[in-house]
Amino acid sequence: MPEHIIELENLGKRYELPGVSVSGPVVHTRDVWALKGVTFEATRGTVTGIIGRNGAGKTTLLNIIAGTLSSSEGNLAVKGKVLGLFNLGVGFQDELSGRENIFLNAALLGAQRKEVEEKLNAIVEFSELGDFIHMPLGTYSQGMRLRLGFSIIANLEFDILAIDEVLAVGDSLFQSKCFQRLMEFKRSGKTLVFTSQNMDLVRRLCDKVILLEHGRLLYEGTAEEGMRRYQQALETERFYVGQGRLPSGLVKDTKKWAQDMEDWGKKLGTKEVEIETVEFIHRFGLRSNRVKTRSPLTIRATCKVHNTIKDPHFGVAIFRRDGVYCYGPNTVFDGHVIEMMQPGKASFQLRLKELLLAPGEYRISLAIWDKDEALPFDYHNGFYPLHITGGDNKNDALLNTVYEAGSEGSIVNRLKKMIAGKPYVQPSPGKAQEPLLNPGIEIGRVSLRDTQGCGKDVCTTLEDLYVEVQLLKFPKEKNNFCLWADIFRGDGIYCQGIQMPIEKDNFARAFFPEFPLLPGNYAAGIGVWDFVRNKFIAYKNNALSFKMVFNRQDHGTVYLRHRWDWHIT
Amino acid sequence: MRYVLKTLIQRRSLIKELVSKDLKLRYARSRLGFLWLFLSPLLLVGIFYVVFYKFLQVRTEEMPFLLYLMSAIFPWMFFQNSLTGAITSLYDNRNLIRESGFPHYLIPLCVVLVNLIQFLPSLLILLVSSAFMRGGLPMSAVLLPAVLGMHFVITLGLATLSSLLYVKARDIKYIIEVCLTLLFYLTPVFYPLSFVEASLSPDLFRLYKLNPFVGIVSLYRVTSVKGGYYSMAGSLDMATLVYVPVLFAAFVALCSALYYRKNKRRINDRLFY
Repeated sequence: MPEHIIELENLGKRYELPGVSVSGPVVHTRDVWALKGVTFEATRGTVTGIIGRNGAGKTTLLNIIAGTLSSSEGNLAVKGKVLGLFNLGVGFQDELSGRENIFLNAALLGAQRKEVEEKLNAIVEFSELGDFIHMPLGTYSQGMRLRLGFSIIANLEFDILAIDEVLAVGDSLFQSKCFQRLMEFKRSGKTLVFTSQNMDLVRRLCDKVILLEHGRLLYEGTAEEGMRRYQQALETERFYVGQGRLPSGLVKDTKKWAQDMEDWGKKLGTKEVEIETVEFIHRFGLRSNRVKTRSPLTIRATCKVHNTIKDPHFGVAIFRRDGVYCYGPNTVFDGHVIEMMQPGKASFQLRLKELLLAPGEYRISLAIWDKDEALPFDYHNGFYPLHITGGDNKNDALLNTVYEAGSEGSIVNRLKKMIAGKPYVQPSPGKAQEPLLNPGIEIGRVSLRDTQGCGKDVCTTLEDLYVEVQLLKFPKEKNNFCLWADIFRGDGIYCQGIQMPIEKDNFARAFFPEFPLLPGNYAAGIGVWDFVRNKFIAYKNNALSFKMVFNRQDHGTVYLRHRWDWHIT
Repeated sequence: MRYVLKTLIQRRSLIKELVSKDLKLRYARSRLGFLWLFLSPLLLVGIFYVVFYKFLQVRTEEMPFLLYLMSAIFPWMFFQNSLTGAITSLYDNRNLIRESGFPHYLIPLCVVLVNLIQFLPSLLILLVSSAFMRGGLPMSAVLLPAVLGMHFVITLGLATLSSLLYVKARDIKYIIEVCLTLLFYLTPVFYPLSFVEASLSPDLFRLYKLNPFVGIVSLYRVTSVKGGYYSMAGSLDMATLVYVPVLFAAFVALCSALYYRKNKRRINDRLFY
């Protein structure tokens, strides 16, 4: 009978997350189970792969096996020396030479100096660094560092190696060398446990696969079957893993309008749970439904639970007074699982980090829904008015997202910011403009670019983006003019106008950190504004059209960073 | 306790590597390199000497002001640098702990050891100048290692405790910074002890002497300067000199050990996430 070198029985790990009160010190904590009821064993000389989505608990599990985290419940038996590998090159110091770093790193991994001295030659040889080993680490390329990091591991003594997604390193030659070494470990009777998103590696290396989902063991068995189930889970969860391609699982559109505006102001639902009080708390921690634009807002509700209910979720929706859906997150979209609510008091709150909505009148809905959002337990539809303040909004913009106009290095732009605070006076272009041709001006290429400079017409929500405009023909006296980019939703709702100074070479650009538009079609019109005459002298409709996609389903037009907290019994 | 010693022996390679790394990094890319070990304390003393002796005209009857100053400022700097360095050390090095899971106290230990190594050259400066100015060292100099050991235990205990507490509540950093300043002025580093005795009522003076650092700096003075004991005996008693610091050291060591034992399973949760 093969020897079980790792045995986990009904293992659970609970984290205490600080629940932060809106103002003042930490008041209450909330428990989150990162792992629950995980049972499995690994025999000597086998390779176990742990797969699962980000946040499924893979790293926590490895940490527990490696002994860097303790478990909250259950039993764990690990026989032999475990080497936990969560980063290659722990504690590497740029100022020290490669050789000194070997000693430091190996000591951190628990090796004695004598052992390292014996193996120094083997390590240097394996790393293929040659004479570089005496140079300071700062002179190494990223690949060389990783090679050195792996070479140290490859030559140390251990019984169990726990690796966390670090093997996709170096060039392909070195990768195959790493792979070979892992196979050698396996043959020599060492036990490997690793997490990976690299399915090829999992297929080739693993004897057994464990699939984790929300901290629970979903499957334990062969690599093929485990990966099939993982793929399935990914597709049903519409979650996006991997890079560079546009998968079918991405959300391409969301709800853009309130669907039942005639019911605004009504309370619907089965009333098994009742929302009792609702408070809006603005940035200074005071209750008020007048909130400044771009400031934080907390929406807090207390409820009374009459019957035990299963799988509830909380939802909040923000609409403009005309029914335009601004933002609607709920706890299901955010991946939270609430198993049940017992009779008694309960409360939940949504903290929005920055309200990127333009000043105006809004309506808020709060709801507690059942699992499939078929019948609400309690639904306060468009019940709560919210006034967003902070300046007038003559042109009826919807959003007030954060952007930086002009190139970073532009001195003129910086000076203007320094002197005026805001670069320019805000004109009011209003709604969609008529096209306006001007013989002296020709608006050329308008493009969206990511931080690597790649042009895009499909962007992911929360990506860092640049808008760039090239003017082909333009009068000399630039300072009297600025560019004005108006972003519209596909259905013509005006989102926001962005001013851009015209820089040298008749070029203009603006940077959007974490561009928050939610999935759907969008378009932008570009206009040239004349400060002297206070009007547009040229305007191009639909100068740019683009799509947004996202890996989450949140409804509305703009993604607002947020977090949920709740207290249930 | 036995377990701790076993770990220290098992992990001696690690401690050695961490300490030598820190020292190397501290003097990497500097022209004078390890010469700074001697230069920094000399410059520090120079500044204090000019300010307090020349400008403020502080005079000490017990011993020459220079010796009086050096015998306190060096131990104090060791204590202060260790503590301020150690508070954030555990949090700053959380990736190291995450990777290899060694006991947490090794990190503040290394910080204190590094500072101890930096303290030794200044101690040498003190002894040499004392021998030079007083024509020899006192017999009690043989007790200097014991004084140093006790000082080390206090420093290590407080360093470990504060670095552990810092993980839980960042407030501790600011509290310690303020306390250090307060303690510095409550310790007779640059003013004569007799001056305090003269200006405080006997009860207040007794209270003042409860500060363990009054005892510690006095111990350094007694053991490093010839004739130090007789000149200071007037204002000092055995309790201040020995009992208070020893009890304090034991108290601090016990507190940090108990706190660590109680919390060691939960520290990593706070440290990593």
